[in-house]
Amino acid sequence: MMGAGLWVATKKIDYTWRWKRVPQYFFYNAETMHNAPFDSRVAQIDNLGDTTRVILISEDDEKLSFEVDSPTLNVSVDEELFEDDHLGSTFQWRAGPLVVGLWNTLWISAAASIMGLIIGVITGLCRVSKNPTLRDLSVTYVEIFRGTPLLVQLFIFYFFLGTVLDIDRFVAGICALAIFAGAYVGEIIRAGIQSIPKGQMEAARSLGMNVPQAMIYIILPQAFKRTLPPLAGQFISLIKDSSLVSVIAINDLTKSGREVITSTFATFEIWFIVALLYLILTFTLSQVIAWVERRLAVSD
Amino acid sequence: MIKTVELKKIFSGRGQEVRAVDGVTSHIASGEVVVVIGPSGSGKSTYLRCLNGLETLSSGSIVIDGTDLADRKTDLNKVRREVGMVFQQFNLFPHKTVLENIILAQQVVRKRNRSDAEDKARQLLKKVGIAEKESVYPGHLSGGQQQRVAIARALAMDPKIMLFDEPTSALDPEMVGEVLDVMKQLAREGMTMVVVTHEMGFAREVADRVIFMDQGKLVEEGTPEHFFTEPREERAKAFLKQVL
Repeated sequence: MMGAGLWVATKKIDYTWRWKRVPQYFFYNAETMHNAPFDSRVAQIDNLGDTTRVILISEDDEKLSFEVDSPTLNVSVDEELFEDDHLGSTFQWRAGPLVVGLWNTLWISAAASIMGLIIGVITGLCRVSKNPTLRDLSVTYVEIFRGTPLLVQLFIFYFFLGTVLDIDRFVAGICALAIFAGAYVGEIIRAGIQSIPKGQMEAARSLGMNVPQAMIYIILPQAFKRTLPPLAGQFISLIKDSSLVSVIAINDLTKSGREVITSTFATFEIWFIVALLYLILTFTLSQVIAWVERRLAVSD
Repeated sequence: MIKTVELKKIFSGRGQEVRAVDGVTSHIASGEVVVVIGPSGSGKSTYLRCLNGLETLSSGSIVIDGTDLADRKTDLNKVRREVGMVFQQFNLFPHKTVLENIILAQQVVRKRNRSDAEDKARQLLKKVGIAEKESVYPGHLSGGQQQRVAIARALAMDPKIMLFDEPTSALDPEMVGEVLDVMKQLAREGMTMVVVTHEMGFAREVADRVIFMDQGKLVEEGTPEHFFTEPREERAKAFLKQVL
């Protein structure tokens, strides 16, 4: 019903679906034109099957050889050529903007996730530490970065820090995402640590372990297991939030989508495709985490 | 072996002050089995927890094997290696198998290599009678089995003293026996033990000395024969009337 309704609605606004134009923005066959670099004569043409070798001789007897795809051959033997005359072309498959964007989104999110996790674990540990300075610092960090919009943080990182410290836009984008996510991860980790019964720490200490050893071997592994579901949510959010880096001109999936739309006007199709690509990323991540959860569940 | 002098532990919070341990002086000799009994809230568990530094002292002193626990320079982790502890709630590490539970601290704290630690662990599992459960996770064991693993885990550190904090209180009645048997065996082997328990039978049979605590104070101490037949103090009499 809804599908039919939408179809009628799109008919009404005279929207022409151009799904056929989408695939070329994933991969396309790029043509490289080979032109004569100087005035010359075609000395020899060898057909090598799919490709053809063209040998040119210049007025100074300089020899030059080119290989072009046979169907595109544009010259014949003994032909006199001027500079920039077209000899033929070769074709090569290249990744289109959507694939490039997907790849950028993927590695930006991955880098930000790993950094965010590290920042988050440190924050979480500081949050439960006995040292009041560390505790206050981590509370302040969490409050500031959880309490301001990511978009504003991105602008500050890129326009302020990026300019003052001369950082690359990618570094600025990844740092902003990681620090933003770190604030949330920190709170998740803290909750995880605090959910482990006090007896676990006492048992570890009573065996002679010091606090770092007890944390590493006893508390954190258990806390990690308990916090996996909320952490999964956080990292999925991070993948989606990474679309905001398009505002500082990073070629992520969202920005690539917008660029493709400007050249195709296939607005509806591209946004559907972009949404689907994000869904593939997030779904894969949640499957991986579900697998890890099942692995860790053996001790239950 | 363990000397406590005027030991005090005061918890304060929300304007209230709880004197959990209020001036306990006692000396526990090497190889002695001391059973601490008393009504709940009498501070016996807190006293025990002070003995391996799980609680910081408010005042007084504890000297274990010549090391003063209250001294700031004392490395508590070093003391704790020599003092094994068994908890009421077992506190096994749920994410590790039985064997891993027992080898972890040996490797991390005692720096033993893995095969030595495994040998030791298997030997102790055999001793507590659950050799066949080494690759099981604690969650799949009964309470009695878990407590026996916990005892093996503490013993793996080759402690000079073993502390037991109500080791049978969280167990189903039919499992109490198997844990007490392991403890009796340890006592026969000459281990220095301090046991907080409600098992009067165990106290009567195994203890060299019984300490009765009430409201943080050491009310009466003596041999089990003396304590269970002719206690001097009124509070001890009242307590025994209730539990026996």
